[in-house]
Amino acid sequence: MNQVIAPRLLVAPAGIIAAGLIFAAIAPGFLSLGNAASIAGQAWVLVLLATGQMFALAARGFDISVGAIAALAGTLAAMAANSFGLAGLIVAPLVGLACGTLNGWLVGRLALQPIVATLGSLVALKGIALLVSDDGQAVPLTEAGQATSLAFDPVLGLPPLAWLALACVLGAQFLLSHATLGKRILMLGANPEAVGLVGADAGALQIRAYQLCGLFAGLAGALMTARAGAGLPTEGAGMELQAIAAAIIGGTALSGGVANAIAVAAGAFFVQVVLTGLNLTGVSPFLAQVTVGLVILGSGLMDTALRSLLTRNRQPKDVSP
Amino acid sequence: MSSFPIGDRGPSSMPASQRPPVILIVTALLFGLAALAVPRFGTLGNIENVLRIAAILGIVACGQAIVVILAGIEFSFGASAALASVVIVMALPTTGVVGAFLLGSLLILGVGMVNGLLVARFSVPPVIATLGMLMIASGLAAWLAGGLPIDAPPSDAFSFPARGRVLGIPVPILCAAAAFAVLHLLLAKTRLGRGWYLVGANATAARLAGLSVPRLVFSGYAVAGLFCALGAVILTSRVASGQPMLAPNLPFETIAACAVGGLPLGGGRGNVLQVACGVLIVAMLNNIVVLLNLPTAYQLILLGTLVIGAVLLQRDWAFLGNAVRLLTNGRRG
Repeated sequence: MNQVIAPRLLVAPAGIIAAGLIFAAIAPGFLSLGNAASIAGQAWVLVLLATGQMFALAARGFDISVGAIAALAGTLAAMAANSFGLAGLIVAPLVGLACGTLNGWLVGRLALQPIVATLGSLVALKGIALLVSDDGQAVPLTEAGQATSLAFDPVLGLPPLAWLALACVLGAQFLLSHATLGKRILMLGANPEAVGLVGADAGALQIRAYQLCGLFAGLAGALMTARAGAGLPTEGAGMELQAIAAAIIGGTALSGGVANAIAVAAGAFFVQVVLTGLNLTGVSPFLAQVTVGLVILGSGLMDTALRSLLTRNRQPKDVSP
Repeated sequence: MSSFPIGDRGPSSMPASQRPPVILIVTALLFGLAALAVPRFGTLGNIENVLRIAAILGIVACGQAIVVILAGIEFSFGASAALASVVIVMALPTTGVVGAFLLGSLLILGVGMVNGLLVARFSVPPVIATLGMLMIASGLAAWLAGGLPIDAPPSDAFSFPARGRVLGIPVPILCAAAAFAVLHLLLAKTRLGRGWYLVGANATAARLAGLSVPRLVFSGYAVAGLFCALGAVILTSRVASGQPMLAPNLPFETIAACAVGGLPLGGGRGNVLQVACGVLIVAMLNNIVVLLNLPTAYQLILLGTLVIGAVLLQRDWAFLGNAVRLLTNGRRG
């Protein structure tokens, strides 16, 4: 399986190259070093959200609440940072973890459908974010300068928070390929019954998958807050969609069981390349939103096409018991 | 068809029992409690207000119910309603009122058909398809309107769907009654409706029974679009403008209404009474939040908890049903 790179994993890099070539032809400033740096800087929030989403998808789940989690976590972290100093940003991943635990508990223990559970928490968390922030007012950081320097000023080539995000992605990939937990989550997605046969608790694995998803969403919230220099309670609407699209383009199978964090990061970069490219060509941001919608539909179609293609190739193997 | 075990889960198995269904009792209890405990809730003006809001929600929820029975979910209603409202107001000067409403409705039908096509023919998961269409429709709406609401020139014909009265009854409420009647006929009396139940309960079995599953799914999303179109016309007339952010919570509210009414989101079951009661409960709760002067954020929190709570309750519905029955019997006896 590992000798040949699965075709799924090549979609995102190929997409980045194709989109890069197209925008280079249309928008003159696109292929500059400054622009590449700006894309690299902006993409990390999406990278984190998509990596988290990957765990939910890999376990044959779905999390549409990641945008709301990130917004709430970022807002609460900004409040904490204002009272306890910049270290208060650590609240964001904790809030994310708590929300993820709730989602995981609803799915893994109470056996709710992932859509229902995460839709419920999406709406409720949105409400809570509005409630704590006085109806959606941004929460400016008192130490905004310090926070933005963490997010923007490069140390050894990347800003500290980008290093952190990169480490998280690599950690996620290590978890998937080398740790029992990651392998079991993939197994749960590939064949839910098999998990029981090896003596693992499927519900507990689902909880872990949603916890990881929430944790990454919380980290994304912290990054959002640091970049903006403020907690934005209404930010993140629509981010869950971009995250899902990025995760699918990054080769995560909607039917579960296949995931690669590095490819998912590439998927997130693809979405960011498209957004930045459209911005540079002077397209209205509203039409950019339309394009994101098309990218989402495209990713769904791609998943269907890949699934039918791959199962057709695998058919002879399935026949022999 | 009766040889299928899933037939037991269909509408025919819901007993035309002597006792009123649980959901009706719950709705009545909530109404009674609110009328007693919440100031101004029980006034005639407020009840009409609740019914007006419930009417729009109910019409769109009829569409959501079809999709939910098909084991799908529809997130694009709010965005397509917003797109329609913008297009209606922009088309108004050239096409006249009726033409503009027709154009907007056709647009939503189109969005529903695209959703149906994606789900039925290309087996894209309903969440992905309808969320993608949500992005596309709301992006287009904002682009067309330039990001800001556009006012419609006031006219009697334009405000008729929302503010008009026929025989003293507000038009939205009449429309909702008609929508519920149509949905009931579709679900209970037509082969199309029976097909939707079968596909939602077990798509493989439906295919093996010789039903054209893709065609049924496609028609479900298209008809759902028609219900949403009626709701969008009334909404547009109500706000008298083209709003790119018309009803962002509409999909959530309609899904909540279906869940609260007791439709399993896994598909295959559900009837009009459940949808209507779910809609009334959601509308009453939203109204109570407003009457109690709570921040509207509470509406969202309530809605989210409601979706999860209702689906959890469905599993222990029997318990709750018994409790309510015991209570009502106790009062009678």
